[in-house]
Amino acid sequence: MNVKVYMNKGIKEVINEFPEVGTLLEELGIGCVTCSVGTCLLKDVIKVHGFPADQERIAMSKIGKIINPDEVIDIQDAQTVIEKKAPQVIKYSPPIKRLVEEHDMIKRLLAFIPPVIADIQKEGGIDIKVIEDCVYYIRNYADRFHHAKEEDILFKYTDESQDIIQVMYEDHKTGRNFVKSVEAGLKACAGDDVIKGLNGYRELLTQHIKKEDEILYPWIDRTLTTKLVGELLSSFSEADRSFGLDITEKFEIFLNGLDTKYRNLKEELK
Amino acid sequence: MSEFSGCPGSRMMQFNNESENVAENGKRSSQLAQWPIQLHLVSPQAPYFQGSDLLLSADCVAYALADFHKDYLKGKSLAIACPKLDDGQDSYVGKLAALIDEARINTITIMIMQVPCCRGLLSIVKQAQQQSKREIPVKLMVVSLQGEILSEDWI
Repeated sequence: MNVKVYMNKGIKEVINEFPEVGTLLEELGIGCVTCSVGTCLLKDVIKVHGFPADQERIAMSKIGKIINPDEVIDIQDAQTVIEKKAPQVIKYSPPIKRLVEEHDMIKRLLAFIPPVIADIQKEGGIDIKVIEDCVYYIRNYADRFHHAKEEDILFKYTDESQDIIQVMYEDHKTGRNFVKSVEAGLKACAGDDVIKGLNGYRELLTQHIKKEDEILYPWIDRTLTTKLVGELLSSFSEADRSFGLDITEKFEIFLNGLDTKYRNLKEELK
Repeated sequence: MSEFSGCPGSRMMQFNNESENVAENGKRSSQLAQWPIQLHLVSPQAPYFQGSDLLLSADCVAYALADFHKDYLKGKSLAIACPKLDDGQDSYVGKLAALIDEARINTITIMIMQVPCCRGLLSIVKQAQQQSKREIPVKLMVVSLQGEILSEDWI
């Protein structure tokens, strides 16, 4: 088993064949095991998480040893324990920070999905207005307002052929499909389909946002010059103006309404 | 001898700068692409400010930072000021707001020394941001007396 061959394989494929690699990545705080796509190449996985060069080398050597214990791997000290990347407050550039703040709004909506579902199950019927409004804000805020900035602007500042970007596009596509299934369920008055779609969307977006906040955005930020940061913020501001700046205010009002409606149920579910 | 209790910006100090193994040979080109540079004297209508990335530097920074031209000034427009000693600083806020809104500068990078009196430059920029219609990214870099970058953060 030539380790070099595995360096160019998708991480999910490597973990499936060598579960110990997944364990090591989890110890390093790298969440590839739970990634729904897992096509990032092994050689890129640690690099994209911003480890110092010496720790990156040690991590890759340990992975190499798992794949082929007999292969001579260049490692200074095989017993060296990699300092686990301590949780840190991530500092974002202003345009990236704007996207993170939009994520915070989306996460607030995701947090209401369990009580909305519990309500469907308890009452035996669907509050169509609430679900339609959730779909409206997922479509308009999460997708057209937020994801559009990522796809039409931010990702153009990267090499879009890279797997990490392709994973994000794939997540966006999967998310849109979940929303379509919720709408179809509403139309057919099929509560189970609505629940399945909402749950699928919530799980996907929770992981997706974590990947972007903790990995993708810091990685992109590391590549941006001061000039590009300025251009990016200007492009985002222009996009937001074109869309209509009141979407954020309207979304905030909607979320506050959900809080009032589902506060007790949310507490019960904790 | 009693302990110094005045402004850290005025405190007398002497450094021993023994050169490390750094190549000191070769001549560098100036990266200054404009005149004037003092914040009172610059005009927001000047062509070199239009859409530029502005470096707003405290007066002392360029003396402390050996590679100021090469690493920080290159590719940027410049304005310098001293938030402790300059007169008429009220006009600084309006000048910076005009640079943001009329010259439509792309970004501001503020470079200050680590001494507390330099922080006034950050305060001036923040006031200018509040007066401006446009939102632009602002970065703050703090330089040590020995010419090291102590911090570099978007604010």
